[in-house]
Amino acid sequence: MAGALAIADTRSQFTDLFSVYQWLTVVVAGIVFGLVLFALVRYRRRGNEYPRGKDKHTVAESIYALVLTAIAITLVTLTFRTEDKTDAVAANGGVRVDIVAFQWQWRFGYPDYGKTVLGTTEHVPTMVLPVGTVVRFDGISRDVIHSFWVPAARFKRDEFPKRHTKFDLRFDRVGTYIGRCAEFCGLRHTNMDFYVRVVPRDAFQRWVKS
Amino acid sequence: MLVVPRRASLIGWVGSTDHKRIGVRVATYAFGFFLLSGAFALVMRTELARPGLQVVSENTYNELFTMHGSGMFFLVMAPLALALGMYFVPLQIGASDIAWPRLALIGDWLIPLGGVTMFSGFLTDHGAAKAGWTAFAPLSDIDRSPGYGMDLWIFGGLLATAGVLLLAISVLTTIVRFRAPGMTMLRLPVFTWSMVATCLLVITSFPALIVALSLLFVDRHFSGVYEGASGPVLYQHLFWFYGHPVVYVIFFPFIGAVAEVVAVFSRRRFFGYHALVLSLLVFAALSMSVWAHHMFATGRVTNQYFALTSTILLVPAGVEYFDLIGTMIGGSILLSSAMLFAVGFIVLFLIGGLTGIIVASPPLDYHVHDTYFVVGHFHYTIFAGSLFGFFAAVYYWYPKVTGRMLRERLGKLQFVLYFLGANLTFFPMLVSGYEGMPRRVADYENIHDLSLMNMLSTIGAFTIALGTLVFLWNLRVSSRKPVPAGNDPWQGHTLEWWTTSPPPPHNFDSLPPVRSYSPLYDRRLGES
Repeated sequence: MAGALAIADTRSQFTDLFSVYQWLTVVVAGIVFGLVLFALVRYRRRGNEYPRGKDKHTVAESIYALVLTAIAITLVTLTFRTEDKTDAVAANGGVRVDIVAFQWQWRFGYPDYGKTVLGTTEHVPTMVLPVGTVVRFDGISRDVIHSFWVPAARFKRDEFPKRHTKFDLRFDRVGTYIGRCAEFCGLRHTNMDFYVRVVPRDAFQRWVKS
Repeated sequence: MLVVPRRASLIGWVGSTDHKRIGVRVATYAFGFFLLSGAFALVMRTELARPGLQVVSENTYNELFTMHGSGMFFLVMAPLALALGMYFVPLQIGASDIAWPRLALIGDWLIPLGGVTMFSGFLTDHGAAKAGWTAFAPLSDIDRSPGYGMDLWIFGGLLATAGVLLLAISVLTTIVRFRAPGMTMLRLPVFTWSMVATCLLVITSFPALIVALSLLFVDRHFSGVYEGASGPVLYQHLFWFYGHPVVYVIFFPFIGAVAEVVAVFSRRRFFGYHALVLSLLVFAALSMSVWAHHMFATGRVTNQYFALTSTILLVPAGVEYFDLIGTMIGGSILLSSAMLFAVGFIVLFLIGGLTGIIVASPPLDYHVHDTYFVVGHFHYTIFAGSLFGFFAAVYYWYPKVTGRMLRERLGKLQFVLYFLGANLTFFPMLVSGYEGMPRRVADYENIHDLSLMNMLSTIGAFTIALGTLVFLWNLRVSSRKPVPAGNDPWQGHTLEWWTTSPPPPHNFDSLPPVRSYSPLYDRRLGES
């Protein structure tokens, strides 16, 4: 489908970037914990002496600060690259889905097919989507701020009252995923769940016509 | 904790403008609010121990997490930060008093007044506020949050915030105006420098909350200030313009105290003093420009800019770590209770800082924002970081304040319980959030490891509670069977250890010459 390649699977984008941050976190934590432990053991108080040593080391500290700056710039660069992909909007979207969030349910509309899915207290709404296709979301809230979150897609976006929120997503794997409201929205926020069911394209066509 | 001289009148106690009494008063009732807000956390952890609703209703749960967060920010951590400054800044700079003591006295009493106002919401028909400590519009408007609980929350927040603001004005002016002869700005002790950064942030950011909450009251009762299409985002900007700097307000004083503790118990002058001072000021300046990283998921702010400013914070933070560890290496380290809590701060705050770098990246934040990952992240910074720093300060300075020693064995027991408890509580939160558990929910489904992770967090929370009981027991034992502290039990470096414990009302009978940021250390080296 046109534009499909421009929109990345947010999950794989997240995983690639997260692994860099995770790796860095583990290494830095390892170094700092090691140094602290080394200091505590090696320099534990033995006698009553006062150690003599330098009070500062400006050259070493300046070099260190430059290294930190380089790390920060690297992280920010990687982040910007990934964000360009996760925030990208396709020139012409594939499937359009309207999201209406309200206390404490979801309504999903398919304007191209005249189909609507409405959640009720007995029935958790299921959004059906075709696999590997760009989906153009247009979300709005009827009351307070909600947030459309699909943990498996590693993506969320807030839904505001009186203002449309637009974003594109693509799901590359068939399956059923839980979705939740992530922004606290009042009494029954806990129960504001939905499902995203990603199906093959022909199955999606059958579903919208049913 | 209170040290009331014999024959002290109630008015004398309540109305004293002695900065030491103001400091002790603020710390005492802030600690009371800590116990109350902490008890709320225990009820929440009990509810979340297993999937399903067992202990409280959703409505009560929403009140609990709202008041837990509001209490901890407005009434516990920010007041504790300023209480330390109020007590120790004049002593560290060799001053006999604070600037504008009556202003500070007003600030002092505005805070508990705000606290009582906020918590009195529980007595009203609709109950206490339940829109979260952030009280985002339009959830906090009159239709979605009816009743006086929300209004009392607004007034409580306003009073407490104004109170902290007045304390900060007094402390900063004291530093600028009341330094002893020889105490130049670049000879200020590290803790006092951390209070400079803290007070600057309070003065520049707290007014934004006063505006946000005042407008929220107007929105609720007169005209819908936040009703328009951009109203909700406007509120978030105003709120986070306070709400982000405040997390550094409740960080700087504690890293300052930790720096003093590390230097004294390593028997070294603090390493890299000038770099630390510079990093604190850079940190403070940058932290005024990161507020909208709380709003990445709105899609309505310039994510790149706030990602850049937030990530670059790792540079001043890294410099501070360099100096802390640089002080320890080559030192002569005594692992007292104070030092244990300081080391705990260094180790655990790092986890909060590193997870902070992760949430500073918008594509990563899109997933973990508003989940337990964020809850775990900021509890590592505020509880496992700042509160550990506070206890380092308590074990370090309690002898100065009361003239009595705390029991070291009980202090170490408390540290072990806190260290285990904090990791057991907050590390599983990083996992459960990543796996899909949103914050601010009373119930969850047992998918992935959520059931196990939540049970671990609950066990951890009660371990922390046990540690708190050990601390209270320590206070009791030390006042029942006092062990005199003397002027300088730790061989301190800074001027507060020159005077008696507790210090006289005028603080000093004499002062040693001040030729560096650690005047007593200079003297000791000269003697030895």
